[in-house]
Amino acid sequence: MDIVLQQLVNGLTLGSVYGLIAIGYTMVYGIIGMINFAHGDVYMVSAYITAIAIALLTFFGIESFPIIIIGTLFLTVAVTGAYGWVIERIAYRPLRNSSRLSVLISAIGMSLILQNYVQLSQGANQQGVPTLLSGALRFNVGDGFVQITYMKIFIIVASLIGMGVLTYIIQKTKLGRMCRATQQDRKMASILGINTDRIISIVFVIGATMAALAGVLITLDYGAFDFYVGFIIGIKAFTAAVLGGIGSLPGAMLGGLVLGLSEALFAGLISSDYKDVFSFSLLVLILIIRPSGLLGKPEVEKV
Amino acid sequence: MSATAGINYKKSVIDALVAGFMALIVFGPIVGVVLDGYSFNAEFGKVAWMVAVVVIGRFAISCFFQTEKGIAMAFRHANNDEGVAVRLPDHKSKLLWVVPLVIAIGLLVPFIASKYVLTVIILGLIYVLLGLGLNIVVGLAGLLDLGFVGFYAIGAYGLALGYENLGLGFWSMLPIAALIAAMAGAILGFPVLRMHGDYLAIVTLGFGEIIRLILTNWTSLTHGPNGISAPLPTFFGLEFKRRSRDGETFHEFFNIPYDSAYKYMFIYLVLFAVVWAVLFIKHRLVKMPIGRAWEALREDEIACRSLGLNHVLVKLSAFMIGASTAGLAGVFFATYQGFVNPSSFTFFESALILAIVVLGGMGSTLGVVIAAFCLTVLPELLREFAEYRVLMFGILMVVMMIWKPRGIVRVTRTGFAARKGVVK
Amino acid sequence: MSNMVIKQTLLSLAVAGAATLAQADVVIGVAGPHTGAYAAFGLQLWKGAEKAAADINAAGGLNGEMIKLVKADDACEPKQAVSVANRLVDLDDAVAVVGHFCSSSSIPASSIYEEAGVLMVTPASTADGLTDPGLPNVFRVCGRNDQQADVAASYMVGTLNAKRIAIIHDKDSYGKGLADTTKATLNSYGVKEVMYEGLTRGEKDFNALVTKVRSVDADVVYFGGLHSEAGPLVRQLREQGSKAIFMSGDGIVSDEFVSVAGSPKYVDGILMTFGANPTSYPSGKKVIEAFRSDGYEPEGYTLYSYTAMQVVAAALSNNNLDPVKGADWLKSHSVQTVMGKKDFDSKGDLKVSDYVMYEWNAKGEYHQLN
Repeated sequence: MDIVLQQLVNGLTLGSVYGLIAIGYTMVYGIIGMINFAHGDVYMVSAYITAIAIALLTFFGIESFPIIIIGTLFLTVAVTGAYGWVIERIAYRPLRNSSRLSVLISAIGMSLILQNYVQLSQGANQQGVPTLLSGALRFNVGDGFVQITYMKIFIIVASLIGMGVLTYIIQKTKLGRMCRATQQDRKMASILGINTDRIISIVFVIGATMAALAGVLITLDYGAFDFYVGFIIGIKAFTAAVLGGIGSLPGAMLGGLVLGLSEALFAGLISSDYKDVFSFSLLVLILIIRPSGLLGKPEVEKV
Repeated sequence: MSATAGINYKKSVIDALVAGFMALIVFGPIVGVVLDGYSFNAEFGKVAWMVAVVVIGRFAISCFFQTEKGIAMAFRHANNDEGVAVRLPDHKSKLLWVVPLVIAIGLLVPFIASKYVLTVIILGLIYVLLGLGLNIVVGLAGLLDLGFVGFYAIGAYGLALGYENLGLGFWSMLPIAALIAAMAGAILGFPVLRMHGDYLAIVTLGFGEIIRLILTNWTSLTHGPNGISAPLPTFFGLEFKRRSRDGETFHEFFNIPYDSAYKYMFIYLVLFAVVWAVLFIKHRLVKMPIGRAWEALREDEIACRSLGLNHVLVKLSAFMIGASTAGLAGVFFATYQGFVNPSSFTFFESALILAIVVLGGMGSTLGVVIAAFCLTVLPELLREFAEYRVLMFGILMVVMMIWKPRGIVRVTRTGFAARKGVVK
Repeated sequence: MSNMVIKQTLLSLAVAGAATLAQADVVIGVAGPHTGAYAAFGLQLWKGAEKAAADINAAGGLNGEMIKLVKADDACEPKQAVSVANRLVDLDDAVAVVGHFCSSSSIPASSIYEEAGVLMVTPASTADGLTDPGLPNVFRVCGRNDQQADVAASYMVGTLNAKRIAIIHDKDSYGKGLADTTKATLNSYGVKEVMYEGLTRGEKDFNALVTKVRSVDADVVYFGGLHSEAGPLVRQLREQGSKAIFMSGDGIVSDEFVSVAGSPKYVDGILMTFGANPTSYPSGKKVIEAFRSDGYEPEGYTLYSYTAMQVVAAALSNNNLDPVKGADWLKSHSVQTVMGKKDFDSKGDLKVSDYVMYEWNAKGEYHQLN
């Protein structure tokens, strides 16, 4: 019993992180219909910036946890957002009117560039951040116990807040309305006076900031990263986005949670060797039953 | 706006300063603060250089696009949205003489090229096969497949496992592996036919990953990450080894000194023949009803189904033919390398094959051939750049896409005209 | 059209080749992952080989000829390893190679070197399958997985008296090979592991696996893999309140292990097998100090790479720069290196493996256990 509960906690934290990164995929897909393969590497960049921010802040003698965490979040979100903007401007905007596959290849090239640029400037070695928040809650369950570190609780709370703020922006603000209008019909939106190029840039920046939030949280929790870390998590987050129905914001969060939970439970209770086989099979199965993902709208076929 | 308006330097300066500011934010932390354990070393000099380069470069580009030439170039780029070029029905290509010339030069290559060059060309030809296969699936049938490497892996492991467990050699496994890969294509094809566009992409991606994970984890059969050795092709039963365990070797039979290049020459010649065979078959398929059906289905699925086209059969055939080509490529890859392990079949490989198809110009055979050589030879040429190699490769990928978003070669097609006396 | 591309390629390759051939030095390749996910190890190989070559050249070179190193990048992919091996042999005219790093690259490359009569000394590939085929030109200056597993297993059973052992590996040829041989050795001692599972390289979340370790109530966790995964693994073990002893192989020998684990307190008490301390040799001390004065900490495989270069140099200089004769010579002669005297058996493995047990402490340093 305690083991199953512990695995649920593991899956929940992993899933909320997948969800945060999946948002970047799903929003970009929704607005210009491209799979942004460089998104995982944007997350990787944010992990580096997190460590750099912590190193800088401690260098200037700041030791209190809340100030470090707020400073790090601020720096990371700002710089990673800039990355999102620059990548869109350089690699995707010139291809706005080309086929979606051309953009896909450009994104793959961008992913290689980011990985190698970070490797060349920061070195290929493994990096780490010091443990800032230690300690854990411990619940006794039957004979065993469930242990949840404060950091894990922080992850779940912070990603819930992040998703909540984003949902508010998209649903309630003027900016959100413009995003949704651009998503539904780019040509019409531009006729109505929306600067769609700017909106697309903003969507990339939003996606990058969500990846940055995930980057800060994961880096603080696991402590370890390298320039290659974006690849696997990027594929997983993309899977989560598709699972939930690509283009749908709540779908990305749900997909992340489903994927995280299924991975944790399968790895913990059956076999960690075939964990990824299981997640991909689950994806195929769900897509066979619901071809547009869990919360995706069915595609309307126009004649 | 008239082209003679002159250069607005103020605008260029603002552009350059904005670019410089962004460069400062982007390069500043990553390049300027190099992590060292939990502390860091500052390298602000490098950042200053990079920002300066960006500012000057942006200024130059901004000025350039205000000149007459630049405006013309931007205009051309914005309006290159051409589709397929259609030729007259009675069009006869004037370039037909090129084919025998290429064959002749191709046959000469192994005797003039050094061993290293030969191996690079073999790798190039393997990617030509892969590109041709994926071109059918993505370029012609319009089904985005991100797990194509799975079929490639099936072919490669088919040879290695068939040799180890069943004692089958290169020649018997060549057709068998193609068949197995085609079957795998059918198995994958069935459930995913309901899906559209990018859902299909992620499912095929998952399929490719599942194959790789099974190859890694099923240790008792595949030896997991340690890999498994694959046999060399034989020349009418003669082996290309220095010494043979049973029977004569190639160099003993012909009484010539041993040279390890012989085996690459032989692989090259067989591969060359197979590539031409596949090219020919593909060339014919495109003109046959099935090829027309692929393209029609790509353009409008509903219209095709309304006209009574069996979309399941059409899509499945594309999947299977594409997969079997990848299976062939896999066999050649395994025999060329003499060893296979799962790390050769990662997602990046699928992405590379897709890049070949897109860069070549979707659906264009000639384009695929050129792109395959570009993308395999390029990393070898870039070896001079040492650790900057992959970075350069990525930059070239982005630049090529921006420069030629429709691919290197534009797809052309010969138009139809009813023959006299056939149509009533 | 494709012939144009080929022709251009031929031309440019020929030009590149001619440039390399112009020098009359002894060309030695340093093959390893200079890019890609394992680039950190490629750097260690390069640093060690570079320093050794510089030292040898400063002392007059090989029979008067200078060593010229060629960086050969395989990114730990077998495909690139074959390609780069052919390039070394064919274009660069290398007589010997220090490398490769990953066993999965070394194995396909070794047969190309064998055909070309090139001497290959790997500083790091420990897979048994590399030397088991018995190619005459292949040597390694590191131990074999089974030698390392023997030390680990006997320590677990003998000294720790462990009953419930969980074995985890990273599904890669090095890590899984190590875990497999350790498992086999343990079983031969009559101890059955309570858990045997793989994790995925590149992931950082092993919480599910850690919970499973807790559920089987293991008292020792043996990990076959590298520090990039060992760090988060051990941290998550401790964060979930497991007190199992953590043991691993030479894949975690890196100062980065501490920073990756998050804090020195997490590595306290971790055990690992590694070659006997290189600083214990007087000849090694000098080289290590020279490295440190250049601002580089010779960690991990750096000294192994230095040693490999010394072995190559000895084989070549004693045999008129003939690599084939050099390979034969190595099997009957011992070589003095920074890591002591090295003798090779007929397969090219070290005759004496010097694996011993090390322990990490709460300050993030490791020391040899006696």
